[in-house]
Amino acid sequence: MGIRLYQKPQLENPILVASWPGIGNIGIIVVDTLREISGAEEFGEIEPWDFFYPKQVLIRKGVLEYLEFPSSKFYFKRTWGKDMIFFVGEEQPTEGGRVYAEGRKAYHMANLVLDLAEKFKCRRVYTSGAAVALTHHTTKPRVWAVPNSESLIPEMRGYGNTVLMSDIEGRGGHGNITGLNGLLLGVAKKRGLEAICLMGEIPVYLQGLPLPYPKASKSVLEVLNHSLKIEVNLDKLDELDQKVERRIEEFYQQIPLEIRGQLDRLKQVTYAQPAEPGPITEEEEKRIMEDVEKFFKKRGGGD
Amino acid sequence: MSQGYPVKIYKEPDLRRSSLVLGWSEDVGNLGLKATGYLNHKLKGQEFAEIEPEDFFPLGGVAIKGNLAQFPESKFYACQKHELVVFQSDSPGAEWYKFLNSVLDVAEHHCRVKELYILGAMVSFSAHTTPRELLAVVNSVEMKKGLSQYDLARDMDYQTPLGERPTLNSFLLWIAKGRNIPGVSLWVPIPFYLAAVEDAQAQKKVLSFLNERLDLRIDFSDLNQEVREQNEQLARARSRFPQIDDYINRLESNLMLSEEENGELIKQIEDSIREED
Repeated sequence: MGIRLYQKPQLENPILVASWPGIGNIGIIVVDTLREISGAEEFGEIEPWDFFYPKQVLIRKGVLEYLEFPSSKFYFKRTWGKDMIFFVGEEQPTEGGRVYAEGRKAYHMANLVLDLAEKFKCRRVYTSGAAVALTHHTTKPRVWAVPNSESLIPEMRGYGNTVLMSDIEGRGGHGNITGLNGLLLGVAKKRGLEAICLMGEIPVYLQGLPLPYPKASKSVLEVLNHSLKIEVNLDKLDELDQKVERRIEEFYQQIPLEIRGQLDRLKQVTYAQPAEPGPITEEEEKRIMEDVEKFFKKRGGGD
Repeated sequence: MSQGYPVKIYKEPDLRRSSLVLGWSEDVGNLGLKATGYLNHKLKGQEFAEIEPEDFFPLGGVAIKGNLAQFPESKFYACQKHELVVFQSDSPGAEWYKFLNSVLDVAEHHCRVKELYILGAMVSFSAHTTPRELLAVVNSVEMKKGLSQYDLARDMDYQTPLGERPTLNSFLLWIAKGRNIPGVSLWVPIPFYLAAVEDAQAQKKVLSFLNERLDLRIDFSDLNQEVREQNEQLARARSRFPQIDDYINRLESNLMLSEEENGELIKQIEDSIREED
């Protein structure tokens, strides 16, 4: 079980951007967008068989031709004046029917990704995922940024539309990042490698829908544009966002009027001063959350 | 054997060029366990090894089945005289690759296995009066050629549908291919209303193939008796309950039943069989 490299590109202190699937596939869309726009080339993969159950078999004329496993692939590109490595995990290696990776396999996979990062002398690692928040789908998602080192905080304070955990209402600087998008940060810290997780906000009522949320991916990419001093054209993402937006609206109209009325109030939440509470009181916030939870329990949806 | 595989060998079997027959518990119609159990019984299989469960099964408690506490089992039996290894196991819930490699490690390094036969059953929407078929999926063209003289459906085309996953049998067949062990995964379609009970006809079908292929010379008189009893039992259910008869008549005419009717037929057959037992 290990990494299989198809070629050994010559890279100079590359940046690694990695992601695994999660709510709204926000991180995956981020990495896929960067990968596609830059025209990055696949150069390696993590051998899958010890991590995953196969996802597809092809039998032709009675002969088993191949068994396909979820992929965990590395790509590289010298672009925007720097060397980049992208990693996309098609699934999180889970144990015991859980949704997100944890335990021995997750730790092993995180280490394999960072083994490759260190082999190529990566100077920084980014991961990306979702931040489930009390926001509305018509508002621009913020990006919650979590570094693994104190020294990164001043830099991150300079990003636009970005909040640290201490800026988020009622969090007091605490929280957790589920699965490998978070674990990679911790393992990188253990190795003394700087890493940042950028999480795009997704409205709480959309977290259980099997839909991507490209609007949040766009916010994350804007932050990456700033952080990496690159210029990724995000027009393609706008097209995807418009398509998804229509489906979200269809879903939204199915929510009972009373709950929708509560959710509509989230449109008024503004974050001119991140630490300042919006026009919704704590009591109202609690009630909205309870209503949303009740609605999804009734529908049988949600994580 | 690869290091670290959790296999416990009690006694080295004296096998020189054996075949491995493998069946899982909780198979449709309990086919895997019944057929491998039958082989062990008839060929006097001796347990010689097992795979320890802790890496592969959730051990947070025990399941209860038929009033009894269960514990996952993965056992190897040697039928020395017939150069046959039988492996019976619960389906692992984790670390499949490691588990399946452990099975093949024992097969290769302790039993000199040359061929692999994986038994499985699938749900069919045909009536029990339709003759059972035996479908074969192989992991090499040579194996396919070698099976050409048997009554097998060997030309199946299949791709895992979206949202589903391949079977453990396909996973094992693929690993065996990587280790150059020719193998076949055998599938017997079992009528859906016998899936939760047992289907002696399906067992007979797969065992007859193995008997012929591996020259086991098994006397099937007891299994033939079971097949007759099963047929009589189902015939009695049809005559006692006109609705069962109507449903089965329709299946015999290649008509589909509604989901609700399927459910009713399953329940009535199961009740009727349990009542007689």
